[in-house]
Amino acid sequence: MSDKVRVKDIGKKELPMLSEVRPEELIPLPPPYDKVEDLPGFKEITDEKKERVVCNLDGVIASAMPHPESPEEEQKYVDMFVDGLKKLLSKENNWTFLQPLTLSLEYCIGCQTCADACHVFEATGGKEIYRPTYRSEVWRRLVNKYVKPGGKLIAPLKGADIDLNWTTITRLYELTYRCNLCRRCAQVCPVGVDNGLIAHELRKLFSQELGWAPTELHDKGTELQLEVGSSTGMNSVVVKDNIEFIDEDMTDETGIETETPFDKEDADVLLIHNAGEMLAWPENPGAFAIILNAAGIDWTLSSEEVGYDGVNYGLFYDDVQLARIAIKHSQAAQKLNAKRVVMGECGHQHKAMVTIADRVLVGDLAVKRESFLPLLEEIVFSGKIEFDPSKNDFPVTLHDPCNIVRNLGIVEPQRRILRYLCPQFREMTPHGVDNYCCGGGSGFAIMSGNNYEDWRNNVSGRVKFKQIIDAFQDQPGPEVKKYLCAPCSNCKGQIRDLLNYYGALDKSGITYGGLVELIVNAMVDVKEPFIKWEMF
Amino acid sequence: MSASTLILLSYVLLAIFAVFFVLKSLKMARMPVHVRWELAPVPHEKGRGHYGGSYLEDAEWWTKPREKDHVAEATYMFKEILFLKALFEHKRSLWWFSFPFHFGMYLLIGAVVLLALGALGSVTGLVGTDMWLFATGYPLLAGVGYALGLLGAVGLFLTRMVEKGMANSTTYATYFNVLLLGSLFGTGLWASFSVSDFSGQTLGFIGALFTADMSVELAGILKAHFLLAFAFLAYLPFTQMMHFVAKYFTYHEIRWDDEPVEPGGKMEKEILELLGQSPTWAGPHVRADGKKTWVDIATDTGAQEAEK
Ligand code: SF4
Ligand code: SF4
Repeated sequence: MSDKVRVKDIGKKELPMLSEVRPEELIPLPPPYDKVEDLPGFKEITDEKKERVVCNLDGVIASAMPHPESPEEEQKYVDMFVDGLKKLLSKENNWTFLQPLTLSLEYCIGCQTCADACHVFEATGGKEIYRPTYRSEVWRRLVNKYVKPGGKLIAPLKGADIDLNWTTITRLYELTYRCNLCRRCAQVCPVGVDNGLIAHELRKLFSQELGWAPTELHDKGTELQLEVGSSTGMNSVVVKDNIEFIDEDMTDETGIETETPFDKEDADVLLIHNAGEMLAWPENPGAFAIILNAAGIDWTLSSEEVGYDGVNYGLFYDDVQLARIAIKHSQAAQKLNAKRVVMGECGHQHKAMVTIADRVLVGDLAVKRESFLPLLEEIVFSGKIEFDPSKNDFPVTLHDPCNIVRNLGIVEPQRRILRYLCPQFREMTPHGVDNYCCGGGSGFAIMSGNNYEDWRNNVSGRVKFKQIIDAFQDQPGPEVKKYLCAPCSNCKGQIRDLLNYYGALDKSGITYGGLVELIVNAMVDVKEPFIKWEMF
Repeated sequence: MSASTLILLSYVLLAIFAVFFVLKSLKMARMPVHVRWELAPVPHEKGRGHYGGSYLEDAEWWTKPREKDHVAEATYMFKEILFLKALFEHKRSLWWFSFPFHFGMYLLIGAVVLLALGALGSVTGLVGTDMWLFATGYPLLAGVGYALGLLGAVGLFLTRMVEKGMANSTTYATYFNVLLLGSLFGTGLWASFSVSDFSGQTLGFIGALFTADMSVELAGILKAHFLLAFAFLAYLPFTQMMHFVAKYFTYHEIRWDDEPVEPGGKMEKEILELLGQSPTWAGPHVRADGKKTWVDIATDTGAQEAEK
């Protein structure tokens, strides 16, 4: 299949696949990861599966959609899609993003500066369908043809004609889950057009109008969180049990009596973790407790429904769900009369709650909210805890979560801590606000069905994996243990999968974890090493 | 075409330009407030803009004074507008054409200002058109502007045709726009070389526009050039070439808009009004009925349904 995919091909039913992605076409990785044949490759989607679900974009399935049952059903969804296009551009339905979206619709000059900034496009050596403007241009032409007056007459004259049918909308739907919404492309756009935003808004259209969203984000994500309190499925009793268990574990491991307060009223800090940490990386909430207690911070967790899980997947695909969860978070803080809400090590929680929700949580709901990073910086440099940086004398590099760094501009606090506590700290190239997404952003890290995880590991995570390996090029072998600090739950999930997929602990000695683990590891009072080198 | 037809047509085209330019710009400016969507680096962040830092790097940031560096912001914008900094840094291959294209236009805007001043001065008798500024400065500025613009237009047209990614996202309309501007620069350049009294004739024509003097003399190539120029202006507000206005909003009101909501402030009031609207999204989980407001919907977490 050639890669001469044109914008209008998206609606071509006769093409079984728009453009298949093949491991051997991807950009090479540094040794010892340069042999395609040594890697597991992509899981094959069987013909039987293709009979049952739509697989018409690139041979990858993010959200298994059934085929329409009848031409009427197909038409129904096509009509709903056109309604959704209109609603995205209306004030009453989409005031939240109307100005950024309208400007991105009208003023792209097609210069392609954005393409060179996108890690997905770069990883595939420039596959047309992954070009940041590809999906944007499809949307633009659909709006011009189906929403603007006279569009159906003018579109063919402009050479901008696209057929709208089931194939078009299902391909476009899948394609919105080939963008990490990292906004690296928007940063370099000379006009300020935002292709990440366009992908985000299209996801919203599919969810808010057609009711289509990946199960991991919707049914097992926001819906589960609103129903039981957490997208992990944990209710407050289970959360409290887990934290109690973690506290006991921390006490045993460090010799420091560790206790996590719950539901303390009038506390200075209400800390909200991504609840996934409690299950996947319990040492992270444990390390937080050790640090906050050692620094004498007046803090608490909440056992209020949703108040103990900072996850807000609504940020990735649905404004309604985003607002519902943000309100629950705010109400948890109000109930305890906490002075401020501090986000734990979770990037998308930061963006959802600190900035996006700022113009949603008005009136009484406007509780004070901030990142954990400035608080940690204050603690580390306050002199209240004694540190011995030589305990962290191993190579450390830092991954910048897009939602904390590029989107919120929190760049230096984490670096000042690492420069102080980690003698062998080194930056990735590029880093800071120019850093690459881990490839798990915007919900990908929790999406693993069919062969989607293979796509994540091979394509969206490829540039990041290369960056990680390159950061440790001075000591590449597994005999030197190295630490990748990724202060974000979703990024950690993706990095765990990447390191596992490529066998990077065995081949390069690289493990990963958060920032608080490094801080606790450097504490003089913690006698045994806190960081274990088999964290998978 | 007679001079009087050209003058009358020019009035119509200029009026279309003025009306729609203002309307389009107002449309961009009058959009409702949106949720925060800032993107680092935000240059007005004092002492941190250079590395992309923001006030959110401070613990309890709401207790600290917000310090904005307006000079840094203006410097950033100046470099971006005049030298196309983003393109220079991230897409140098295109910058070689885009820069002369845009810079040529800036020179022409300068030339138009001189032209208007000269014409006004001459009409009112305040200055003579034989002043160096008008007799030599203006045609020099215009000539260099035309030449740079033409070079850029040809380069951009060819690049769009041959570069794979650009070719795919370039519609006929975009090619037409580049061609239109190219012919505008081309006719201008040609006229500045071929019309012996280029400066006098153009000054005379603009003066005639001010006084509605229908007897003005103008060479054929200059008639074509002015017609193209005014047609371009009338067409401009309907195209993506308005990106130079859009850019103000994408930078200042989106990428750099990191203003927190002030309790009881103007923005909070506007947001409360927006939250009072009734969305009609049809997704089943939204539970919109055309009457429920955003507030109703956002505070409806499905508990009632679950109880039923
Ligand atoms: S989105 Fe921006 S960078 Fe990309 S093609 Fe359009 S104008 Fe150029
Ligand atoms: S937002 Fe990120 S992943 Fe999406 S197109 Fe832009 S650079 Fe690529």
